[in-house]
Parts: sequence; C-alpha cells; structure tokens
Amino acid sequence: MLDFAVELFSDYTARTIILGAASLGIVSGVVGSYAVLRKQSLVGDVMSHAALPGIVIAFLIMGVKEQLPIFIGAALSAILAVFVINLVTGNSRVKTDSAMGMALSVFFGLGLVLLTYAQRMPNANQAGLDKFLFGQAEALVEKDVLIIGLTGFFALLVVGLFWKELKLLCFDPDFGGTMGFSMKSMDMLVTVVIVSAIVIGLQTVGVVLMSSMLITPAVAARQWTGNMGSMVILAALIAAVSGMTGVALSAGFENVPTGPAVIVCVSVIAFFSVLFSPNGFFTLRFKDARSRREIKKDYVLKVLHDLALEHDDPGYAHSERLLALGSEKGFNVKKSLWELQTAGYVEKAGEENWRLTSNGIREVRKFSPVEKDR
Amino acid sequence: MNSGEPNQVAPAIRVTDLTVAYGDKTVLWDIDIEIPKGAMVAVVGPNGAGKTTLIKSIQGLVPRVAGVISIHGRPYEKQRKEMSYVPQRGSVDWDFPTSVVDTVKMGSYGDLGWIRRPGRKEHEKALSALEKVDMLEFAQRQISQLSGGQQQRVFLARALVQSASVYLLDEPFQGVDATTEKAIVRILKELVNGGKTVLAVHHDLNTVSEYYERIAILNVGLVASGKVDEVFNSENLKRAYGGKTSFFPERKSARRAV
Repeated sequence: MLDFAVELFSDYTARTIILGAASLGIVSGVVGSYAVLRKQSLVGDVMSHAALPGIVIAFLIMGVKEQLPIFIGAALSAILAVFVINLVTGNSRVKTDSAMGMALSVFFGLGLVLLTYAQRMPNANQAGLDKFLFGQAEALVEKDVLIIGLTGFFALLVVGLFWKELKLLCFDPDFGGTMGFSMKSMDMLVTVVIVSAIVIGLQTVGVVLMSSMLITPAVAARQWTGNMGSMVILAALIAAVSGMTGVALSAGFENVPTGPAVIVCVSVIAFFSVLFSPNGFFTLRFKDARSRREIKKDYVLKVLHDLALEHDDPGYAHSERLLALGSEKGFNVKKSLWELQTAGYVEKAGEENWRLTSNGIREVRKFSPVEKDR
Repeated sequence: MNSGEPNQVAPAIRVTDLTVAYGDKTVLWDIDIEIPKGAMVAVVGPNGAGKTTLIKSIQGLVPRVAGVISIHGRPYEKQRKEMSYVPQRGSVDWDFPTSVVDTVKMGSYGDLGWIRRPGRKEHEKALSALEKVDMLEFAQRQISQLSGGQQQRVFLARALVQSASVYLLDEPFQGVDATTEKAIVRILKELVNGGKTVLAVHHDLNTVSEYYERIAILNVGLVASGKVDEVFNSENLKRAYGGKTSFFPERKSARRAV
C-alpha cells in the first residue's frame, strides 16, 4: 500500500490528478457547508443533476468536447433549474420540495435523452461524454487542475471576504436585511459559488454524485464542532482527504469510476462521525446509559435511607426483595446494590439484607437532606 | 454629519398610507401611524392582523404596495443605523453552529459595513450587552443549549449592541418565563427612560396597561392608536378581534380591586 502511495505521488500524472481531487475537495467542502447551513442540501443535488443537459447541449453545438463551453453549458443549465424552481414555487401552490424533485428529474431526464442521442452520432468525438455521469479523474490534465484551482480560489476568496455577511444570510437573513446588507445578492453569490464547485467537479466526480461531495463533508464536519469557522475548515479537510483517497482507489483498481470511489470515502467518514462524534449516536447512548445507572443508584440509596429512617436508625438493614418492591420491572436492584457496595455506600447484613454505611448516609444526605423534626 | 442627527420635532416613526399585500391577500391596509420619540408602544391585534408585517415594513423587509415610512423625519433607508430589531425567536434555527457572544456580535455588523470583520471593540460591546441581559456567564455557550427565555435575551442583547434610537421587537415575551419577561420589561423601560423609542408586537392583553403607555390596535387596517388609557377599551378591541375576545380593559381595574 505504501509502495503504491509513493508510486502515486512520484508519478507526474498521478500527482496532477491528486492535486486536482484535493483542490476540488477543499472547494466543495467549503461551499457545501453553506448549502447545509442554509438547509438547501437538496438544491445542490438538483443543480448538479441539472448540469447534464447543459453539458450535452454545449457538446452538440460545438461538436467537440471543449472544456470551457461545457463548463458554461453546465453552469447555465444548473442555474436555469434553480430559476425554474423559484418560478414554480413563487407562482403556484407547489411546495419547494416537490418543485425540486420535478426540476431534478426533468433536467436529468432530458440530459440522459440528449446524451443517448449524442452517443449515437456518427463521429467519434462524443466518446467519453458519459464520463460526466460518474466522473473520471484519470482524464484530468494540468490545464484542468489549473482551472479547478483558479475557480476554487475565486470561491474561497468570496467566502473569505463576505464571511460575516454570509453568516447573516445563513442564520438570520431578515436581521441582515435590516442592517442594510443585500441578502438577495448574498443569496445569488452563494448560488454562484455552489455552481462553480459543481462545474469543476463534473470531470472528477460527475453530475450524479457531485451533490454528495458538497453535502456529506459538511454534515460530517458539523458533528464534531459547534463553530461555523471550524465546521467549514473541517469540511474542506474531510472532502480533500476523501478526494485524494478516492482518486487513489480508482487508480488502484481497474474500472472503478472516481466519483463513486470518492463518495464511498466521504460517506465512511460521515457515517463514522454521525455514530461516534461527541454528539453522535453511540456517544449519546453511552451518556444516556451512564446517567440512568447513576439515577438508579441514587434511587436505591434514597429508598434504603427512607426505609431505615422509619426505624429511627439510618443504618437499619432491609431485604433486597423489599427494595425491589414498588420499582418497575426490569429495574435490577441487585446490580445497583453491587455497584453501591463497590463504592462503599452499602454493605451486606446477613443473607439478603443490606444497610447503608456511614459513607452511604453522608452521600444520600447530599441530595436528599433529612427534615430536622423527623 | 449634521444630516445624520435625528430631527427633534419629527416623530420617531411615521408611517403614511402603508399598504402591503402578499399575492392577492391584503395584509396591511392604508395604515397611518405616528410614534412619538421616547414612547413605549404595544402593537396588538388578532392572528393575521399584520403585526409582524408592520414591524418588517418599517424596516423595508417586505415590498410595499404603497406607503411612506420615515424615522426621525428621514426615509428609513437612510436611518438603518437608528433602528434595532428583535425578530421572533422562532424565526431562526437555534441549532446553528455559533456561540452566544458571536450571535450578539452580529448586532455590530451594521456599523462595520461590508467586509470589515468585528474586532476587540465589538467583542467588548457584545459582552457588555450580555451583562445587561444577565447572560454574561453564557457568552461562550452554544446557542443550541439555550432555553427559550435565554434565546430571547440573546436576541435582545444583539439589538442592544446595535445601539439605535428606535427598537422594534416582534413578540419579545412569547414563550419566555416570568423572570425573563420581567428582565426584558425592565430593560425596555430603561431604554425608554433614556429617550429611546420602543415598538413591540404584544400578545398578552392583560399586561398591556402595565408595560406600555401607548398602543396601536391592528387588524389589517389600523383600528386605533394612541395612549393606552384613551384607546385601549372594549369597543376598539371588539372591532379588532371581533366578538371573540373575552378581555375587557374596563373591567380589569374592578377585578384588580377585589
């Protein structure tokens, strides 16, 4: 594996490709964070799918797979899809999610039809047009990486400059508007940077999976931090690492398209984050179980103490069975007692009887003070 | 900057012929209202009466069909720095990844203008605003960990950072505990005593006379506006709420005497 990595990085072509994938990752991680924070994850999905008809139409017009026209075509049709969504939701009773679903299928369907048509054309130029579906990073050349880098630089510059304005847009656009910031232009700016990220991801990841490249790193990053700045940076890192790993995987195994390979990597990271981050599924379960155990122990202490007080002797022993009475099924009193015994709060008094130790009495009075006149 | 000085004669807020419509629905109809400087004013009315829309219109947040809005005698566009805004607490996502102090700092963005970032001065301002609303110890807390009352205090602190002369609040007491409600009232009264003007959308008719000196009763059109003692009566409320309100201000004093 190490040999393989060394080989990858020493090879000029491979280095170019990996550099491209890493830059793409950084851009999509940063830009995708905004889609996630604005709860517009699906918009990214629609836009990337909607780029397909633009790509094919650009090819049909130019007759060759020229990069710039294809980028422009992709960007225009992605933006057109957003425009259609706004038009439909603004002028009918159709809700945003339905409008997005429709726009996605209509644009992507049209793209597939056009793609099939283009591939039946008698000249050979169309070969590889279908690579835009799932991406093919091996085809990246220096010029492509340069374009990815420049576009990415532009996107990062925009985010850096308008950091506080974009934060307002995501958190409280009305409030931003009252202070005189044009939230409409910020909204347009975000759309533009998202489209740029999609366009530069077309070759590497492809239209079908590009949305995951935008959304998943941001979602994963959000699990680990409560700070917007850290989230954006972490998302960029996660996406960059996934991009590089994905490219390496795709190069290492034959016939593995780059897009899916990259997405598998980023999904693994996201899955792990959702499960094991400080607010993740397992962590919360674990904390939950622990606090429930503590509460049960406190409860048993309290019951033991209350019962004992009825005998005017806090050290009076009671049977396990009596303690279990009145508590719900599944409450393992025995287990709590053992734990309390280990902690030195209770001790066994005969076969099945338990009583509080002096430590236990002190402990229970911490959270339930005895009324003085009792 | 002489032109930036608030005009002493003009009312703090003057709304003339304001009409707002969403689609084919008229939300506000021909509203004329004047809020004198230093007043504390409640905006009341049934659901859908256009209270929030009025607050938003004053700040140019919603498109108007007709109407002129001036703040201290000048068009609102030129007086943005004279206005502080506390939107409805539920209008934002409190799960947003940011801390309490950073949220409050947003109040300084307007003064900073485009691109410039908040620095030490803005941080200090945010902390002192948090102190005023008794939330200093929560400064570094995630906003997702706040209770409803604490969220409202954070929003108020953010508005205090704006340090404007006109405060516009949308239901500042909604879903907050009694302690927070008292704290907010105290701060608002301090603002008014300092010559600021406060306009708040208010729901609880029981507390109107206690908290406010002036009131605007709204139901698409303006039903009445003026001093609470003069216009806050059952006749006006009936006109705004229909026959459905069981609250009669005249009886309240009698009930209190019991």
